[in-house]
Amino acid sequence: MQLEINDIQGLVIRGYSNLPAADFLILSVTDTTAAKKWLAAIQKDVTPGHHKPKEIAVHIAFSFEGLKQIGLDRASLDSFPIELEDGMTTRHKQQFLGDFGNSAPDNWEWGGRANEPVHILLMIYAKDAATLDARTQAYLAQLPQGGLKLLNHLGTTVLYERKEHFGFRDGISQPTIKGLSRSDSDENSVEPGEFILGYRNGYNQFTPSPYIAAAADPKNLLPQSSVNGMHDLGRNGTYVVFRQMKQDVSLFWKYMDKATQNADGSNNEPAMIKLAAQMVGRWPNGTPIVVCPDGERPHMEDDNNFDFRNSDPHGLKCPFASHIRRSNPKDSLDTDRKTSISVSNKHRILRRGRSYGPPIAATLKPIDCLNATKCDDDRGLHFICLGADIGRQFEFVQNAWINNPKFNGLYEERDAITGNHHNPQDPRTTGTFAVQHPGLRVRYTDIPEFVTIRGGAYFFMPGIKALQYLSSL
Amino acid sequence: MTQHGAYSIVVNIKSGMRQPLYDLLQKIDDGGVEDNDIIPFKKITTIHFARFVILDACKDAYGQDIPARLAFTTNYDLPLNNHMQQMIAVAGKGLWQLFSMCEDFPQGPFNASMLDAYFQDYSKKAETFYVGVGNRSVQQIREEHVLRNAINDYTDQNRQSIHQQSAVAARQQIIDYVNGNPDLAFAKIPVPAASKKWDAAFYGKLIGVIILFIVFLPIIIPFVIVWMLIMLSIEIREKQVPNNLTKDHIRELVNRETQMVQAQFSALGNVKPGKFRLATMMFLLRTTDFLAPYLFAKGKLSGIPTVHFARWLIIDEGRQMLFLSNYDGNSENYLRDFIHIAAKQLTLMFCHTEGYPKTRLMVFGGAKDAEGFMQWARAKQIITNVWYSANKEVSVKNIYNNSKIRNGLYGTMTETEASEWLRSI
Repeated sequence: MQLEINDIQGLVIRGYSNLPAADFLILSVTDTTAAKKWLAAIQKDVTPGHHKPKEIAVHIAFSFEGLKQIGLDRASLDSFPIELEDGMTTRHKQQFLGDFGNSAPDNWEWGGRANEPVHILLMIYAKDAATLDARTQAYLAQLPQGGLKLLNHLGTTVLYERKEHFGFRDGISQPTIKGLSRSDSDENSVEPGEFILGYRNGYNQFTPSPYIAAAADPKNLLPQSSVNGMHDLGRNGTYVVFRQMKQDVSLFWKYMDKATQNADGSNNEPAMIKLAAQMVGRWPNGTPIVVCPDGERPHMEDDNNFDFRNSDPHGLKCPFASHIRRSNPKDSLDTDRKTSISVSNKHRILRRGRSYGPPIAATLKPIDCLNATKCDDDRGLHFICLGADIGRQFEFVQNAWINNPKFNGLYEERDAITGNHHNPQDPRTTGTFAVQHPGLRVRYTDIPEFVTIRGGAYFFMPGIKALQYLSSL
Repeated sequence: MTQHGAYSIVVNIKSGMRQPLYDLLQKIDDGGVEDNDIIPFKKITTIHFARFVILDACKDAYGQDIPARLAFTTNYDLPLNNHMQQMIAVAGKGLWQLFSMCEDFPQGPFNASMLDAYFQDYSKKAETFYVGVGNRSVQQIREEHVLRNAINDYTDQNRQSIHQQSAVAARQQIIDYVNGNPDLAFAKIPVPAASKKWDAAFYGKLIGVIILFIVFLPIIIPFVIVWMLIMLSIEIREKQVPNNLTKDHIRELVNRETQMVQAQFSALGNVKPGKFRLATMMFLLRTTDFLAPYLFAKGKLSGIPTVHFARWLIIDEGRQMLFLSNYDGNSENYLRDFIHIAAKQLTLMFCHTEGYPKTRLMVFGGAKDAEGFMQWARAKQIITNVWYSANKEVSVKNIYNNSKIRNGLYGTMTETEASEWLRSI
């Protein structure tokens, strides 16, 4: 089926690397009637997938509570998946996602148990700070009249060489959606229904899509649903997972330094960088360590065309517990190679994250980060990912791979970068990380949490027509 | 070498006693499943896994009423007699209290021999019993995990000296440490392997069956063809029964999954109507039961590497299937593994229950309909009222690797072998 690209919000199609400035506004609805008017006006600003904006792009998504606030009826709300309805802060979800200790939803700044309910996520991307600021200010000025309240204004930062705060190039491994102009290897090409509702997914099925009664859509804005007598509210839409991850850069490099110091206590820069690279699975410039275990290479920064099974069966190049080997295990799961790749591709996500907060050192060079003196600013990553099935994609990756101490035969190793070690059943509140060797592994212990969750929510990002429908409610 | 058994008892709950029974089971759960004073599971050291499940009153595929039942099952170290005696000695009174709310249970105060007799009379053999962590006692699994942790801590503390030596010398240093540590005295000698006689009987049985199969092949082939054609015609005519699944049911199920490493699955479904269907299912389940130890050795159930134990029970005169399993991770991942890794094999066993996604020849279709499979599985999944795991901190893979570490302490090794062994630590 041809992708209806002009009905899909453009963020699904592209990450806007040409629009480096971005703001995310977390909103709540205070006056439904006014909010609907605002929505009707703003939906014209939303960028469809066939536009390639050079100046500005705008996107909008709704939490379950948000959909309720703007007047969607109960039956339609019920047709949304349980993940969207329950959100990420129930007791079960806290356990499932591993948000304990400082990352517990009780301590969040927004979206948490103690915070006001989040209703709407407005995303603004622009070519530069001035353009962004003008647009953001314009929107902020509309809010009181639009029956909306700003809960949080999340700014972003563009870091040197598009790295994240720890100093590693980010957002490299992305699945390619079949049916778009870009072509990729079979192994990295994924059915559009994995990311966009209304298309066939990796099982050759249609992911369940929310619907409304046909009678509730007299203008026939929406297409027929596969459910009898219903119109498809989900078609060309997707779900957004938003998690604000605070990064403690100083703690990160201090740990790497301390774990690798020379006998006299002096810094061993290459060893320090290597340990961090082993935890990530890539060198700071993005070079995969499974391909180049000895150091980064200039032309390898976007390399994604590697496997684990044949090139590194014992984890001697890329440790078993490293971030990339567990967030996308490719062919390294304990099945045959083909099954492993097919399983991995049932759990892919489209990442659209952006960093926030000032860098600890402008160059992001590890040694500069280590020696930085002003460390207490708030910085991190707005982790944003898109997918048609939050449970099977984001939640699965987070639960079964990232934060699972038993992943693929391991014992107690969670993701050293983003894992959480405060599960009440954890024997200790720090992590371990083993670097495999031809003989005995070297095990690093007492790894603190470098990343803390500060906020988050699940959203539904409707297609353009569905957005028109929602604003006409 | 310790072999495992699967004890099951499924009995009707006395009319009006479902709620008090439910409350009492909840009390066990609230009191801490390991140390509660009704059934202090931790003291029953022959148990790997155990559970109590209330099977609610329902209607079978013919529309006939089935009353509420209580299922109690254990995965235990053989022999059964020893397990029973220990269970009754430790928790007899609690069991008496629970089962006195069930039908046909002896009247009066606690009586050990009457309880024993009841447990024997009403026990139910599983049609299929799968063992993922075979040949290890509860104690051995625990000890080998202690051993692995101790060796890990020791090697961390002595990293420098171990890394400076050859693999053979490093291994010897670890062996010396183990031998010198009184807490690890159990590891001085290996666990006895299966005797030659046991091996001969084990494989002899398989060879015998294969020979019979080959001899009768000329009869079996036409028979199977006719059988499959009949099955196909049944499958085509069969009406799909919808699965009624609510979000609240899913919430109720997943809210109970609070263990970090392991989880359980209990599912109850109606067997589809018809004697032909029933006979086919029984044959397939029992054949799988016979073949499982040969086909699914090394901890993989049809390729799924996370299942400790699983059993299929056909209860109520063939009207319902009760499936119980213990595995690593959580139910979401577990069900995905079914679809991704073992769709055909498990479809062959489960397609005889109502609501299962449509099949052809019992292997095609079925779990390939991922959405339909998830709906069916969640709709049939029921609450496990009490669940106990003796070694709750180890995965199947950990258990295998721990044995590898332990077995590497004995005999001599070349430098390459010693290196490989060191890698498993």
